[in-house]
Amino acid sequence: MKKRTGRLLAPILICFAAVVSIVIGTVYYTVISRRIYEDSTAHLEEIYNQVNRTFGAFVERNWGLLTNWGQYFELTGELDRETLEEYILPKQDYWGFSDFYFLSPDGKTVNIAGQEGTMTLPGAWERLMEQRLPSMAGHRLPEGQEVTVFAVPVAPGTYEGFSYEAIAMSFTNADLAESVNVDAFGGASTCFVVDGEGGVLFSTRTGGSIFANYLTYLGAASDLTQRELNDIRADWSNKRSGVIQCRITGVDSFILYMPVGYQNYILLSVVPVEAVSAGFLSVQSATMLVFIALFLLIGTAVVFLVVIRGRRKSQEDKRELQYRDMMFDALSTSLDDIFLMLDIDSHCVDYISPNVERLLGIDPEEARKNIRVMERCAIDGDVYIPKEELMAIPLHGSILKECEYMHQRTGERRWYRMAVYHTGIQDIEKDIIVMSDRTQEKQMTGSLQEALDAAESANQAKSNFLSNMSHDIRTPMNAIVGFSVLLEKDAEKPEKVREYTRKITASSHHLLSLINDVLDMSKIESGKTSLNVDRFSLPELLEELNIILMPQARAKGQTFTIHVTGAPPEELIGDKLRLNQILLNLLSNAIKYTPEGGSIDFTVAELPQSAPQFAKLRFSVKDNGIGMSEEYQENVFLPFSREINSVTNKIQGTGLGMAITKSLVDLMGGIITVESAPGKGSTFTVELSLTLPERSDSDLWYRHKVTRMLVADDEEDICLDIREVMRDTGVEVSWVTEGASAVESAVRAHEKGLDFSVILLDWKMPGLNGVETARLIRESIGADVPILVLTSYDWSDIEAEAREAGINAFMPKPFFASTFWQTIRPLFEKAVPDAVAAQAEPEAGVLEGRRFLVAEDNELNAEILTEMLHMEGAECDVAVNGKEAVEMFAGSLPGQYDMILMDVQMPVMNGYEATRAIRAGSHPEAESIPIVAMTANTFAEDVKRALDSGMNGHLGKPINMDAVKAMIGRLLGGGNREKGDDRHENP
Amino acid sequence: MKTHKPLLALTLALLLLLPLAACRREQADSLTLMGKESDLDKSYIQKILRLYEDSTGRELRLISIEDAEYETRAAELFEKGQAPDIFLHFNNADLNRFSVEDNFLRLNDQPWVDGLTDGARAYCQDAAGNLLGLPFWENSVSGCYYNKTLLDNLGLRPATTQEEFDQLCQVLTQLDLTPICWPADGCSWMFQFGLDPLFADDPALLDALNSGAADYAQIPGVTDMVRWIRDAAESGWFGGSYLRTGWSDIGPALASGGAVMTFIWDSWFYTDFRPDVYSVDDFALMPVFMNTQESGTYEGGNLNMMMVNKNSARLEEALDFLAFCADPENYNAAFAGISTVPCFKEQTTSIQSPMVLEASASVQAHERVSTAASRIVGYSADDMAVIVNRLLRGEIGLEECVAQMDASRRADAVAQGKS
Repeated sequence: MKKRTGRLLAPILICFAAVVSIVIGTVYYTVISRRIYEDSTAHLEEIYNQVNRTFGAFVERNWGLLTNWGQYFELTGELDRETLEEYILPKQDYWGFSDFYFLSPDGKTVNIAGQEGTMTLPGAWERLMEQRLPSMAGHRLPEGQEVTVFAVPVAPGTYEGFSYEAIAMSFTNADLAESVNVDAFGGASTCFVVDGEGGVLFSTRTGGSIFANYLTYLGAASDLTQRELNDIRADWSNKRSGVIQCRITGVDSFILYMPVGYQNYILLSVVPVEAVSAGFLSVQSATMLVFIALFLLIGTAVVFLVVIRGRRKSQEDKRELQYRDMMFDALSTSLDDIFLMLDIDSHCVDYISPNVERLLGIDPEEARKNIRVMERCAIDGDVYIPKEELMAIPLHGSILKECEYMHQRTGERRWYRMAVYHTGIQDIEKDIIVMSDRTQEKQMTGSLQEALDAAESANQAKSNFLSNMSHDIRTPMNAIVGFSVLLEKDAEKPEKVREYTRKITASSHHLLSLINDVLDMSKIESGKTSLNVDRFSLPELLEELNIILMPQARAKGQTFTIHVTGAPPEELIGDKLRLNQILLNLLSNAIKYTPEGGSIDFTVAELPQSAPQFAKLRFSVKDNGIGMSEEYQENVFLPFSREINSVTNKIQGTGLGMAITKSLVDLMGGIITVESAPGKGSTFTVELSLTLPERSDSDLWYRHKVTRMLVADDEEDICLDIREVMRDTGVEVSWVTEGASAVESAVRAHEKGLDFSVILLDWKMPGLNGVETARLIRESIGADVPILVLTSYDWSDIEAEAREAGINAFMPKPFFASTFWQTIRPLFEKAVPDAVAAQAEPEAGVLEGRRFLVAEDNELNAEILTEMLHMEGAECDVAVNGKEAVEMFAGSLPGQYDMILMDVQMPVMNGYEATRAIRAGSHPEAESIPIVAMTANTFAEDVKRALDSGMNGHLGKPINMDAVKAMIGRLLGGGNREKGDDRHENP
Repeated sequence: MKTHKPLLALTLALLLLLPLAACRREQADSLTLMGKESDLDKSYIQKILRLYEDSTGRELRLISIEDAEYETRAAELFEKGQAPDIFLHFNNADLNRFSVEDNFLRLNDQPWVDGLTDGARAYCQDAAGNLLGLPFWENSVSGCYYNKTLLDNLGLRPATTQEEFDQLCQVLTQLDLTPICWPADGCSWMFQFGLDPLFADDPALLDALNSGAADYAQIPGVTDMVRWIRDAAESGWFGGSYLRTGWSDIGPALASGGAVMTFIWDSWFYTDFRPDVYSVDDFALMPVFMNTQESGTYEGGNLNMMMVNKNSARLEEALDFLAFCADPENYNAAFAGISTVPCFKEQTTSIQSPMVLEASASVQAHERVSTAASRIVGYSADDMAVIVNRLLRGEIGLEECVAQMDASRRADAVAQGKS
């Protein structure tokens, strides 16, 4: 406290000295100013008293002269002009008056020149003519000039017949100015003679006659108040003297006035203050300057001494501080706690321990300059304690805070507990911050918490899962069990048996679908799902989707349309299976949740993509179905989420499809969005970036002489799309929107000898349809130009008619260059005359006469499969594990088995090992015998693993006979054994 | 019957065409009088034209041209040989473009010449004293018109000397008023107020100038005037925007009290001035002070005159028209109740403005006949305004300004073939 008082003493003393000096200066200035004013006014009064006396003498002289001249005229009697001029003109030259007048009582005048005029002498006429007293007044000459007239009454007389009773002389303003001119004040003063109301008689100012009434002028030009003006007017009326100071047109001026002593005239003087007090003011200014200079000098000396003393003291303090800092630095370097001291007012760092560099990777000097650099280390940005928060800590109080920091150089994260103590050091309030490393404690606590959270989460997930599964599994199971009981009961009633069997089958399928989805979801969520990336054809993908979904949509009377906008690449690299799964989910749902007669639009569009090796595609599935509420849209991608309403309640679903879809899209790095409104339908949009394969042969078309094509489609957009798709191929595309136009174009081209390379006709066009158009073209140009029909419909019904009309091939919509090429290639290579390929369907009786080796460890499954094969006219031998299957095949005759159906999970030897053993065996058909996996492991990885082990196909359990037949048909080439197919040939 | 049809048709056609031809002939034979749109609209002009037509039964054909285009359009018509019989022009200044010698009749010997007042005649003469037209206009007194009410309220009175005038301007400026409305943008008549006393009081000076024996620079009064204009502008006596002040700004400036004085003529107050804060009654007249005459000066009226096209096919009729206008009975009927200084000695029905009447003694003492504009060969007020404005903008110095004024004068004189 003592030290602080001592330190404040010097400024207090300086302030005190300054205040005292200012007070003394102000008093001095006031006293001197007053004295200057008094001296100035006294000086003014002295000068103008003298002027007034001079003017008085001038007036008296004029009146005296006039009186004498009057007496002369009286003695002379009748005056004529010659006598007058002889008498007056010399006097005019001598005394300097401007004119001489004879005045009659009725105001008429005659001057020396004999000119007649009138004179009123305002305020003086009565005095002159009635009181017979000498008078003085202003007079305006006919041409406008103002003069001052001095007049005296004289004995009545006549001049050139003019009767007069008074005579007068006039002086111009310039003449009179000489009489009252004041040389003092450097010519800056102006003197007026005014009447009691302010009317100006004359003035000494050059051009001063412009002032008619000086009091009025003061009212307009000065800062005098009306009251002050009234006071002046009162003084003038009462013939009192006075001096006032005011500003006239911005100039500080003295106004001095005193009665002239004749009539009510006032001598008025206006002098700039600066002119009167210039000498005094310069002394005053000089004195003030000396005073200020002395004050500054002494002040500077005091400040200098204080500064020197302060600096010396500061250096001592600094040295002491440095010593302490060094000691503290040495101590803190070995600790893992960081120490900071902040000034509470400036928030500047007074001290920071050097170990901050080791512990946080921050340069202590940098932190000292700006404490905010600590923020760089903060993980959550909340390390910096705001000034307000620090200020709020009471003296001797503290706060605690825990923050995570990252070492700036190593990136290591560490937890610190920050303790802030608000304390006073030498009466200066400081914040001391101690940052203690609490990383180990935090990690331990964190681990415990994580474990706890994980346990709770797992428990919750398990509960949720069990709850959902319990419900979803029990529902179909309940049907299966219930109808099984009923089946046993009503075994003798064939109709009941068929009905129960159908319902059990449906419930089984639903249960299977649920289990598949659950397993799929489980795998995706556990991160064990990987993408099987390979080159695939987008047109093929779309065709497959069309094949699968078109019948479903048609069954519900829905319109299912695939649109391709722009020219998306046809060859892509990605996981076709997963992409198929995504799109099937979306499209199946669209069909499922769209009422009969609705429409589903599936659009594929290419989006702009900056990287040339990628293609960005947008798949949109738009339906006009039941739509979704806004609330449900937020949860649509969550597992087991289903909107509950009267429509969805009737539609079976696991509630996992969209979750799986979303997970797969995420896995592919894409995004899925949904727009929907209840009753208006939904639009799901998936955007994916897929890798582009190396570009294919661009000269392909040219080499096969496909250079020009004609397209006829009533939808102009389709024509434009085809042209866009074909742009990179170099094939020139002409298009028309009517069949007749197509005929005309084809004929015209033919006549010019420039036939189109190929003609592509839409089947259903207004006017001429595709078939009719083709017929007319053929009739006109012959059979050389291939004609294809483009359609999104099933063309089997018109195939015969089309061929008869001259159509070479059919092509499904949407149009893809690759599909187009594959379709027309045989036509140009003349290898196959017609390329209408029928869609392969599983043939009935494909299993008839076949013999299978079945490897199945589960007796029940083996029995079911055996029965099913028997029902289809096939035979089988069963091995109970892989090893037995290998042995049975090795011991078989060539041709004994058509195919091996191999379970995967079996004791002794699993299916993969068994397949590898068979393929590695010496049996003549070891490499060629088709082996198909038959397993409950249905994931893509399982399929891949099966194929990798040497199997030819994969069938999921439970076994679906249609799938088995399709697989066999594909692997064994369709017809049954008796039809002579080569069973040893691999497909 | 058949043979008479064409004859009948021809007769009918002739009967139809005859009145049209008569109309065209009548129009072609009418006396033509060309004037500015606004000039021809003046009540006394309209009245004298009607009187003429009523009294003589002759028809006058008026060619009215928009004010702004008048000089240009009229000069074009003269050049094309489409000049009117009678041409109205505002006094004798700026006639250079009309080839006075070739186009206009000298009227010195007309019987009505002696009936003109000296002041009016002065405006209608060329430098050689030849009468170029019949003055028929509102004659006015040009001087310094000031706001009497405003000065009274400030305790000030009008100036009687140049010194006082300068003092008055200084005091008004100190009181934050604009002493003089100086319409530098397009108005150029002010210069002749300053120059008139120089040449009216000293005809020898005028002769020296016109003979080429002297130039403006050798006449100190010219430089004095230009210097005064420059100093007045620099002292703020013209206000801050005088270079953008034009004809239409004068009225509002005076009526609002924005300016205290201007150099103009009395009839302007009755034709163009619109009252605002102040009305006509608030104004009075004092001499113009432009540092060329200590006691100031007034200029007599500026007049529109009727000039006769010497090449007119109806010369006699045109002269008859002028004689009709100069008949006391007719001009008194036309000017009845019009505020004007008389153009004719026997003009008794017009009235004079109170401002002029009040200052009549001063006017009588200080009025000069307009001399500079009418007698200086090559004098162009417009050119002078352009050059003085360059000085006021600081583009040229005082001596250069006077030199350019003189060069312009000489060039115009050469153009007129009077160098």
